Amino acid sequence: MVPPQYYLLLSAAVFCIGIFGLLTRRNALLFLMSVELMLNAANINLVAFSYYWGNVTGQTFTLFTLALAAAEVAVGLGIILVLYRNFDGVDVTNATTMRW
Amino acid sequence: MAGILDFAPAIVLLPFLSFLIALGAGRYMPKGGALAGIGATAGSFVLSIATFFAVSGGQTYNQTIYTWAEGLDAINLTFGLLIDPLSSMMLVIVTLVALLVHVFSLGYMNDEGETGLPRYYAGLGLFTASMLGFVVADNLLMAFMFFELVGLCSYLLIGFHFRQDGPPSAAKKAFLVTRFGDYFFLIGVVAVFATFGSAAFAGPDAFPVLAEEALNGEHSVNTFLGMGEQAWFTVVGLLVLGGVVGKSAQFPLHTWLPDAMEGPTPVSALIHAATMVAAGVYLVARMYGFYVLTPTTLAIIALIGGFTALFAATMGVVKKEIKQVLAYSTISQYGYMMLGLGAGGYVAATFHLMTHAFFKALLFLGAGSVIIAMHHNENMWDMGGLKDKMPVTYYAFLSGSLALAGIVPFAGFWSKDEVLYETLIHGLGGSPILLAAYAMGLLAVFFTGFYTFRMVFLTFHGEPRSGTARDPHGVRWNVKGPLAVLGVLAATTGLVNMVPVEKLFGIEGIDFLHQFLDGSFSSLNAHHYAELIPYSSGYIGGEAGTVAIGAAVSLGFALGGAALAHVLYNVPEPVEHTDKLGSIKTVLYNNYYQDEYQVWIATGVVQPISRVLDKFDQGIVDGVVNGISSVSLFAGGRVKRIQTGVVSNYAALLTLGLTALLLGLGLLGGWFA
Repeated sequence: MVPPQYYLLLSAAVFCIGIFGLLTRRNALLFLMSVELMLNAANINLVAFSYYWGNVTGQTFTLFTLALAAAEVAVGLGIILVLYRNFDGVDVTNATTMRW
Repeated sequence: MAGILDFAPAIVLLPFLSFLIALGAGRYMPKGGALAGIGATAGSFVLSIATFFAVSGGQTYNQTIYTWAEGLDAINLTFGLLIDPLSSMMLVIVTLVALLVHVFSLGYMNDEGETGLPRYYAGLGLFTASMLGFVVADNLLMAFMFFELVGLCSYLLIGFHFRQDGPPSAAKKAFLVTRFGDYFFLIGVVAVFATFGSAAFAGPDAFPVLAEEALNGEHSVNTFLGMGEQAWFTVVGLLVLGGVVGKSAQFPLHTWLPDAMEGPTPVSALIHAATMVAAGVYLVARMYGFYVLTPTTLAIIALIGGFTALFAATMGVVKKEIKQVLAYSTISQYGYMMLGLGAGGYVAATFHLMTHAFFKALLFLGAGSVIIAMHHNENMWDMGGLKDKMPVTYYAFLSGSLALAGIVPFAGFWSKDEVLYETLIHGLGGSPILLAAYAMGLLAVFFTGFYTFRMVFLTFHGEPRSGTARDPHGVRWNVKGPLAVLGVLAATTGLVNMVPVEKLFGIEGIDFLHQFLDGSFSSLNAHHYAELIPYSSGYIGGEAGTVAIGAAVSLGFALGGAALAHVLYNVPEPVEHTDKLGSIKTVLYNNYYQDEYQVWIATGVVQPISRVLDKFDQGIVDGVVNGISSVSLFAGGRVKRIQTGVVSNYAALLTLGLTALLLGLGLLGGWFA
């Protein structure tokens, strides 16, 4: 049995990659991908602990999270399409009309 | 069995209904809503008569009708009806006078082509309803509410001719001056609630009864400011008295009343005889069981009353307008009632309240008739010689004047004499204050006789002094009818309580009013009050001798005043004798500069204080509020700059926040230890 620390390290790494992408990129599509990475880092944790405790609840929960992630992507892509239409591009730093 | 007293609420509701009808539909009705008012007051009058006889038969009524605020551990605030001899007598007076005033208004308002009649009759209806509600109120708070309604209605009616300059200003003055007294009354109501936990006039938790038991040490009540019970009750009594002084136009809050003559004359009759001004005195009579417990308050009431009686009578001597003379006579007569109450003459004062209601309504309506005849000229120096032209008015007015002056056997003699007699015997019993008040009251009798007959002679006797007086405008049945009814009453109501005759000739059982007011609730009858009065009686030459001396002296003073008026003014061509008074005349014309000094208090004392308070309000109270808001505005202006609109910045802030949170949790949780 693989010790849970490894899973957790993997999850933390994936999460950090996601955060890194979120902070450094300006492309909205890459934003969406980074968010997906962070979400899946959480999923890894759920599965890992579920496996460790021998309880399938966490794994079942992950299935739902996946479905939710798919829905989120659909909404996110919709937003990106509108962004593209209104600002002639998907650079998030251009869309700054909602400010003080 | 549903007794007649179960219909008592209708007495109040009928005039209220006429108010609604006149207000809503008066424009479409013949006579501008007058008929609804006449019908309603006539109905109330009939019910009041029935109530009166039921109460004479020993029935009483004390019911809570509606609880409009209740709490579990708090005081319930209620509307209720209390019908006892005092209120049933007052109901008859108010409804009768209101009915006659409504009828008279047909002649004074409708026939004279006034506009705005629905408003007028609505005002009369509401006025009557408020006063009746006040009369039957079973607790002090309800009495206060109707007291205020009465004040509001007087404001509306005095300012009826609102397009002229005088009436709106007089209406405001009446409202504000009486409001000033009512502030004290309101505090008094709260004090009564706080002290006794109840403001009922009658019943098991009536506050006069509770106060009496508290003074006997049977149980304790809440007192405040570290006072003993006696002192605190005096304070409460004086607070309530503030409202009485304002409404009943006693010194120093009497200044509104002469100005209130700006209202239509029937309204003056209603205000002075049955409603508004009577409300103050009635309130003292209503809670007399409380006032008799505090000798200080009683003495103050007697002094105020005696002083006002004399003070107002002297001012009435020099006035030129017929209504002004009557206005000062009203103040003076209510002074007598206060004197009677303060001197322990509960029945005497109530008796005077009743007789005064009749003869003063009569005099005002008579003056109204004269004013119609004179084409709304009120100056007595333009009148003269009217007695042959308008005999009904003359004889009715004469009957009222004899009653006002206190000439035997007209109504005013009996009641005024009894007031003075009660004051005299209790004063002789060892109370110099009452003797002083008695002296002032007695002197006022002389002035009353003088100004009353000066008015009669100037108006009706001698030669006509103007063209209109030579050819006066005629009046119709609707003016003569009420005058005739009241003329008979002014001549005869004194007979219901001929105490001097009883005492002098030993005829038992003709003091009907005494017997009547002795009935009903044991805590509310005259007998109970007589036991509680803190005065002892003294006599000169026995009881009968004192009665005879008192009556003879007051009658002598009244006749003396009348005789002086006869000498000076009952001549074909009277001249103004007031010039002989010299500088006193100026002082009297200016009403002892009462208005001036009150204006000075307002501008010279109250205004500077208000300015200081305004500074405090604007500077400190508003300053704190404004300071808080400007700090928030400034901080908000700075903080809002982090809202750049760039998503990456938000993401960075979120990440930083998460990191900071993790670090904080870690440090506190000891992860790095």
